[in-house]
Amino acid sequence: MSHLLKATALATSLAALIGAAQAQEITVVAGNMSSYLDPGRDHSNVGSQFYFNLFDPLIHRDYSKLEPEWLPGLAVSWQLVGPTTMELKLREGVKFHNGATMTADDVVFSLNRMFQATFPPYQVRQRDRLGNFDRAEKVDALTIRVHTKREETLWETLLNLQQLYIVPEAYIKALAGDPNAVENDDFEAWGLAPVGTGPYRLAEFVPGQRIVYERFDDFWGEPAPLARVTVRHVPEVASRLTALRTGEAHIATNIAPDQLALIEADPGLKAEGSNTALFHVVIFNVNHPKMQDPRIRRALSLAIDRDLMNEALWLGKAIIPSTHSIAEFGALYMPELKTFYYDPEEAKRLLAEAGYDGFEVVYDMHSPSYYTNDTLAAQAIMEMWAAVGVNGRINAIPKWTGNDPNMMARTWSNPMYFADPAGMFGVMWAPGGPAQSEGRFNTDADYAAAWERFRFSTDLEARKAAYAELMERIKNDPPLIPLWRPYESWAMRKEVSWRPQPGHIPYVLDFRAGAIALDAMN
Amino acid sequence: MLRYALRTLARMAVTFLVIVTLVFFATRISGNPLDFILADGLTSEDRAILIRYYELDRSWWHQYLAFLRGFWDGQFGLSFIERRPVGTIVLERLWPTAQLLLSAMALTLALALPLGILAAMHRDRWIGSAVMTLAFLGYAVPNFVLAVFLILIFAYWLNWLPVVGNATAWHFILPTLTLASGLVAALTRFTRNAMLDVLGQDFMRTARAKGLSERAVILRHGLRNAGITILSVVGLQVAGLAAAGSVVVESIFAWPGIGELLVRSAIRRDYPVLQFGVLTVAFAVIVINALIDLAYAWADPRLRQRGA
Amino acid sequence: MATLADTPARGPAGAARTLWREMNAIQRLALALAVILAVLALLAPVLAPFEPNAQSLMNRLRPPVGFERARPGYWLGTDELGRDLLSRCLYGLRLTLGLAFLGALIGLVIGGTLGLLAGVRGGRTDALVMGAVDTQIAVPFTLIALFVLVVFGNTIAVMVLVLGLYGWEQYARIVRGEVMKLMRMPFIEAARAAGAGPARIARVHLLPNLVSPLVVQFTLSLSNIILLESTLSFLGLGVQPPTATLGAMVGVGRDFMPTAPWIVLAPALSILIVTFAVQILGDWLRDRADPRLRKR
Repeated sequence: MSHLLKATALATSLAALIGAAQAQEITVVAGNMSSYLDPGRDHSNVGSQFYFNLFDPLIHRDYSKLEPEWLPGLAVSWQLVGPTTMELKLREGVKFHNGATMTADDVVFSLNRMFQATFPPYQVRQRDRLGNFDRAEKVDALTIRVHTKREETLWETLLNLQQLYIVPEAYIKALAGDPNAVENDDFEAWGLAPVGTGPYRLAEFVPGQRIVYERFDDFWGEPAPLARVTVRHVPEVASRLTALRTGEAHIATNIAPDQLALIEADPGLKAEGSNTALFHVVIFNVNHPKMQDPRIRRALSLAIDRDLMNEALWLGKAIIPSTHSIAEFGALYMPELKTFYYDPEEAKRLLAEAGYDGFEVVYDMHSPSYYTNDTLAAQAIMEMWAAVGVNGRINAIPKWTGNDPNMMARTWSNPMYFADPAGMFGVMWAPGGPAQSEGRFNTDADYAAAWERFRFSTDLEARKAAYAELMERIKNDPPLIPLWRPYESWAMRKEVSWRPQPGHIPYVLDFRAGAIALDAMN
Repeated sequence: MLRYALRTLARMAVTFLVIVTLVFFATRISGNPLDFILADGLTSEDRAILIRYYELDRSWWHQYLAFLRGFWDGQFGLSFIERRPVGTIVLERLWPTAQLLLSAMALTLALALPLGILAAMHRDRWIGSAVMTLAFLGYAVPNFVLAVFLILIFAYWLNWLPVVGNATAWHFILPTLTLASGLVAALTRFTRNAMLDVLGQDFMRTARAKGLSERAVILRHGLRNAGITILSVVGLQVAGLAAAGSVVVESIFAWPGIGELLVRSAIRRDYPVLQFGVLTVAFAVIVINALIDLAYAWADPRLRQRGA
Repeated sequence: MATLADTPARGPAGAARTLWREMNAIQRLALALAVILAVLALLAPVLAPFEPNAQSLMNRLRPPVGFERARPGYWLGTDELGRDLLSRCLYGLRLTLGLAFLGALIGLVIGGTLGLLAGVRGGRTDALVMGAVDTQIAVPFTLIALFVLVVFGNTIAVMVLVLGLYGWEQYARIVRGEVMKLMRMPFIEAARAAGAGPARIARVHLLPNLVSPLVVQFTLSLSNIILLESTLSFLGLGVQPPTATLGAMVGVGRDFMPTAPWIVLAPALSILIVTFAVQILGDWLRDRADPRLRKR
């Protein structure tokens, strides 16, 4: 019986594999799965996996490079025609997955649905990253203009955003209610049946369970290398690994460092990893009565030995930042700043100076576990706090407590939404931004002035100087400590050639030409 | 009999309403779903916009009435997270759960009834104790422990069986085994005890006196009479165990069922899905129980008279 | 104990000897295991070689003594943060058993009180209590427990409350039934007429009849509560880290199954042995208490 089972299962999986190689089909088992697919509304780490196969921005970049190198996307050329106006020439003959041809109207609609958002979830995204855009307008059938409110230094970066991917106007308007009007219900329905211009079209989507991509034959660029990709939600890591070994799946996402040895030991499997462009962070509530004294928060920060945790939990593969900066920022990458470091003696001194009386510091974290190694890190941090005499307690809850006045400290992540400090630190810590608005961070006129120079100055050195100034303030009165750039891994069968591309935002599963290949069965 | 049925029906309706109402208000006590769904990094302004958009600024009574209206017009709203009608979401998960429960139940009945009878017939011999010890062991192994080890051994090490989802018959083996282990154990014990009860009664002695073989006595008379008790157990205890087990099993085996959906919606405070899901499950449980009650009443004349 | 009252009274030692003789091998094994585990749990602070939460980050995932890479002194190996598994198992056992015991006790008190009220007051009170019992039976308790923990947060207090609600309806039914039976007895009328207060009636006539079924029910729900607690902890809804309970240890350890199976093995086996032993004892008590089964 058991032999029969084994033989049958093997035969099935072998057949599936051979068939897959011939038919260019793969299955991905993902630890997280989207509940809707709307690149405009979404900015989650879960959703970012899936949009790039379906949609195009006006301006692409060479995603195989860390340094930005802009490439034509749905726009073939672009130039500034005024201090706050950019003119873009559109690519001709681009088809949407529903067969419609992309027009300047579609492009203007796509941009203005975000710039002048009426749909509340879009309004939120508009404010947190697209606030400087005023409007888009059509010039002729293949030309559009985009206007900003103030001079913009990040044109290409912003036009490359997932939120500004181009979508079909008529299709969306017709989804609900009046087919000629934009209604909220149109966008609600859109999230379940998105249509883009990318190399794959969405063949099936069961929210929270499964996404099936199929090659889109009328794609304007290099054809998709795969005929069909099925992404399945498999929350258990052991099950994902098992699925790889049995041949049920070809790629598994969200592999923790502790599993890497296992994959290396398996002759049929390999792992690819990268330091994802985000920080796992600890945030503090600077307005909590017991946390108001900056010395307390500095001590909590200085007490955390991030290098030890990197060694132990990440096998040394994470990157420990000295300041809130990552290599993707290019000219604005400033590792020379020393904002965050480990110094337990200084921590003890500061605690004594601040008169810490042993009160309990509650450390909130997401439950169920959300970030790789988050539960382990939280417990290790409690131990490190205890070592300098701080009485910490973990409080794992499913609720977001960042806006709760009783929150003292919490784990979170700060992703790079676009490759600039403004797209990472800036999205969260701008004056009047989410951190301040939620009441756990304060800014004053000096901070705002430094911010202003950092964000809108056209002189690189001035921007850098202003950012250094901001970091100095963060160091002296810390509202956060970035723990590390996590090392995230994907496990796959040997015949699959895929790796995360450095030019993407975190977690993108890029299956476009050049990003993935299947070796012939050997 | 009719009055009995009507009374059962009325009690069902009350139970149902109580459960649904409790769930409705209990979830709302625990906080704003916005803090569970798209919470992080919202300015207070954005937060206000979204609260209005999701109609979470309405009073609880208003929301409750809107929810109750759903029974009238069938509109139970969109999921906060998936933005699909909750009916679609819940219904597409009912069948996988039903499949899993049915296959586990079939395996349970096939194993537990013979084992239970065996244990009763050989109560004082080693075989009886062996069966019962096994049953206790089966009951003592938590579902999740069994699942974790089954996956490790049969899938990860041996690569014999798939573990992801419910695509083929092979996918049913491990989840069914996991779910059935506790059920077999429980039902074996109940069957044995019910049989012991029946075996000691007068009509069994009469049957034996009539010269029927022990086998025939047990199968024809014993089982039929013990069946009533067993039926009620299958309905209540086993249904409870199965519901609990399916939550665990579905979570571990990525089974797209309703147990996993309920847990996830509760954690993320997806009220519309949670409400409709609880409503559906409660309805199913209550209907099954009522059917068993009726079958019980029909099979047991004393009860029928009491009701009349 | 009423069950003990059935045995010829020759002092507690004599009674224990009689009981021991009545048991079969499995039941004796179960009793022995139960006693050993209870002692281990009680003496955890004395027996544990290390602090259960003391980490050693550079000594993570070491196998039990006897295997390659083992760390001397860490008999069962170390866990994902380099903590001593043996110590965590002992403390986990202690907490798991403590929570279960407390939960079962609370259930007994709540259920018993409601049952008593329903039985004595009858009428509307009875209808209300029995309605609640019916509702409770209609909904699988694990779902309720999950729901309550998710909604009200997974703190120890909520956990105890949830475990305490487990099985209340069984106690209520037992007590109510016994009270109602008693209220119809002629000798109660007589006792009342003779001036006995309700407290005295309860003590003399009610308690002796109740003890036996309640003890049986208590034991049975104890093992179910242990299972429930470990399931909830496994799902990540139990007590907060770093506190160890057996279920939580399995829950966290499952990600390490292929690489470090010992992390799961030790707590999983502990749960299994505890529930097994308690189940067997509970069943044995029930068989003893059930006159129909005893006759045969």
